[in-house]
Amino acid sequence: MFPTSSQCKYWMFSSEDELNNLRDATNATHIQLYGRNVSESSKYEVFLTPEEEKIMVKRYELHLRDFCKRFQPPMPRCVIGTAFHYFKRFYIYNSVMNYHPKEIMVTCIYLASKVEEFNVSIQQFVANIKGDREKASDIILNNELLLMEQLNFHLAIHNPYRPVEGLLIDIKTRGSLHDPERLRPGTEQFLERVLLTDAILLYSPSQVALAAVLHAASKLQENLDSYVTEILFGEGGRDKLEILIDAVRAIRSMEKMADAATDKNLIKLLDKKLEKCRNPENNPDSDIYKKKMQAMLDEDDDLYYAISQQNQIRDNSTLNMSVSASPEVP
Amino acid sequence: MDDFACPRCRTTKFQNPSLKMMVNVCGHGLCESCVDLLFLKGSGNCPDCKIPLRRNNFRVQLFEDATVEKEVDIRKRVLRDYNKKEEDFATLAEYNNYLEEVETIVYNLTNNIDVVNTNKKIEQYKKENREQIQKNKGRLGRDEYELEELLELEKHINEARKQEILLEETEAKKKRIQRKEALIDELMFSNTDAKNIVNTFAQQAKEEQEEEAKKPPSKVTKFSTGIEFGRKTHTTFLPVPTDDGPLYEYVPIIVDPDGPQPPLDKDITTKGFMSHVRAETEQERAGGFKTTIACMRALQEAMMGLYHTKRSQY
Repeated sequence: MFPTSSQCKYWMFSSEDELNNLRDATNATHIQLYGRNVSESSKYEVFLTPEEEKIMVKRYELHLRDFCKRFQPPMPRCVIGTAFHYFKRFYIYNSVMNYHPKEIMVTCIYLASKVEEFNVSIQQFVANIKGDREKASDIILNNELLLMEQLNFHLAIHNPYRPVEGLLIDIKTRGSLHDPERLRPGTEQFLERVLLTDAILLYSPSQVALAAVLHAASKLQENLDSYVTEILFGEGGRDKLEILIDAVRAIRSMEKMADAATDKNLIKLLDKKLEKCRNPENNPDSDIYKKKMQAMLDEDDDLYYAISQQNQIRDNSTLNMSVSASPEVP
Repeated sequence: MDDFACPRCRTTKFQNPSLKMMVNVCGHGLCESCVDLLFLKGSGNCPDCKIPLRRNNFRVQLFEDATVEKEVDIRKRVLRDYNKKEEDFATLAEYNNYLEEVETIVYNLTNNIDVVNTNKKIEQYKKENREQIQKNKGRLGRDEYELEELLELEKHINEARKQEILLEETEAKKKRIQRKEALIDELMFSNTDAKNIVNTFAQQAKEEQEEEAKKPPSKVTKFSTGIEFGRKTHTTFLPVPTDDGPLYEYVPIIVDPDGPQPPLDKDITTKGFMSHVRAETEQERAGGFKTTIACMRALQEAMMGLYHTKRSQY
């Protein structure tokens, strides 16, 4: 039930402005934390601007979609939808410079396939990744807990796919449209593109679904307005109709802007910039990261050593049999 | 008949007190050392009837008459297949006929009458009733259950009785010590005649003993085996446990749909929603999955949250 979900409670935002403000704040705190020695005027020469961060996220969203589509065995739609939600949520409160989107992206998909009960093992999963698979599986498993933590463990996602089915059933039963199955291809295309926008963080899944169905209908030169106004919002919903019309309009306009392609040169430039300014503590190729991992391992060892020492001392004192107390040879 | 001997080596119980007679399926006995000797390789022929035997089928002879052993063996084997219970028959007469048949087979095999045909009969029966035989193998009969229950009960009662006796003994010991102390006290501090005191105490002890003896034994309502006296029909049903707590009251969950009210449960079937949904398969129905639930869920999700907006809050 969406109205009682954590999605509705914690992860729905009022407007794109609010989202952008949050992202700007994240960017600012990151620069403040890691850019103490960089002067105010030159900080954006070193670090990414909020706008550039958005471009990077967007770019990896496209990657995410393509990766999921190519995934073997083929993945159900709800996994893709859920992965998109996780990815978007993660980069509201985390900077691209802190965690590289390439790594978070695969972790999101891996987690989503678990949550949506699409059963693939980690070996099966990394088989879809080019390059060093062992390293990839290490990265995914290391980041999985971090991701869940950053999502506040709100893992249940309401996707617009089931609402679409519900609407189609309802249109077939109560509406007067001829052969509503025709709407399906248009709807699916719309939903795929809408994932690339912020609409899923601003509007409820049922609103997105309705927008998709209405969009598909208008593409076929059909009119579903009477269904929406008379049947869906017929009883007691008239005063709410305005909210819905606004929402649908906004979603549709966002969808139109979904694939404003970015310049390839700019992308290359940003990649280089990010490689320079990313947080080395979270870069698995950096020395600091390796040192950190080693330190964590050592810490475990140290802990074990300390505990075993303690145990030995206790044993000796209780048994009164320490080495020095053994009979001495004259 | 203390002087039975091994038919092969003629050793008797008298010569060798630790002689152990062994017997195999054919019913011919052999002493333990002969078995060890003859069946060194694990298998061989019976020296009496030349039937091939296996060594691990030898067991200690329990009955003096070896043919009884043979019969026991055969009966065990036959009953493994003829394992129907009284419950499996419609009438008592049928069950009796079945038992009669089993007895005939056992008798025939034991006395080597018409062995070929009888074995054929068993094979035939096995083939015809394979399924039921398998089923009955895993099932303990009602009788076995009852017996087990009784044994369990008896064990409990015995333990309780042991405990009681122990308690009584310690109690009696305590009492005796107390009485002795009281007597000594009385003798030390009282001014009356010592003989008198001793006498009264002895009287008291005697009285107490008599009283204890007179105490009627608690009324026995059961045999030592736990079967109750009387003609009560023995039922094994357990009493239905009664739960005295406040009754659970179901409160329906009310969720604000934040959208148009989705159709109700009864509307789904009456208003024609079902004609646009795939009907559940037999397997899905077995799992408790019904089309109405899926249809309802889709419709609910389509309607819920349609009024959603966060804008007004800001």
